[in-house]
Amino acid sequence: MARRPIEIDCEEVWRQVSNYLDDELDNQLRAVMAAHFKNCAHCSAILDGTKNVLKLVGDGKAFELPADSSRRFYTKLDRHLAATKSKNVRGS
Amino acid sequence: MATVNLQSDSEALLLERVRKGEPEAFYELVRPYERGIYFSARSILNNDADAEEVVQEAILKAFKSLARFRQESKFGTWIIQITINEARMKLRKDRRHLYDSLDEPRRGEDEGDYVPRDFADWREIPSEALESARLRHALKEALASLSPKYRQVLVLRDIEHLNIGETAKLLGITEAAVKTRLLRARLIMRDALAPGFDGAWKKGQEYQKVRPF
Repeated sequence: MARRPIEIDCEEVWRQVSNYLDDELDNQLRAVMAAHFKNCAHCSAILDGTKNVLKLVGDGKAFELPADSSRRFYTKLDRHLAATKSKNVRGS
Repeated sequence: MATVNLQSDSEALLLERVRKGEPEAFYELVRPYERGIYFSARSILNNDADAEEVVQEAILKAFKSLARFRQESKFGTWIIQITINEARMKLRKDRRHLYDSLDEPRRGEDEGDYVPRDFADWREIPSEALESARLRHALKEALASLSPKYRQVLVLRDIEHLNIGETAKLLGITEAAVKTRLLRARLIMRDALAPGFDGAWKKGQEYQKVRPF
């Protein structure tokens, strides 16, 4: 006899959608959610939209460092090393 | 972050060189993590100048305390931790933020479950989408509109691709808290970006303002 799937409402789906995308759910809950997405256009839209957000923000091109900033990141280190070198009487 | 083995082998070599008195190798060690360091700082400080200052300080501190770095942990995570600590210290020192708590919720957005506002279906995102400066601007705005505690988890987990455990450790919160905040952050981002996704970007229309939160 086939087991009846546990039902899940949309609010619970929204609460779990992030965990679903990160594969943090146990198999049973995961399966229940997958079935819900098949039958619920609203929740599918949320799932797909969230997936797209992850794809976008996770893309290396999405957020850029300010122009030339990466050179400036080492300014303090440069100064420290220069100061250390000039104090080093013996040299390497 | 790239393949762990490959990275940790070359990192081990670089560390050895620095320890043997070749400070130039430290620059190579840091380079792959420049973005991660910067965006972590930026997620806490929310302006470019402060973030840059913190990054400079964090890189110097990491160099000076390299002896304390244990190779069981990843260099990238270690230097990001230093950066986050520096950023928080700066936030506390800065008088402008005297009454602005790191965790202060905005406009009741913390109360109860987050209810999605937009049910538009955005199944297609063309791969060239990110070539649009408008979209990149919209992403930046949407991220900036998040409260700090949501922004920080999104940056570490979804932009820098750290796992939930690493994110929890870096921010000093539980994994459960990471998951809850991540849910909210992601759903808010989705709603904030919805106007463009109604098709405006594909059709080359004027980008509509990000919905305020």
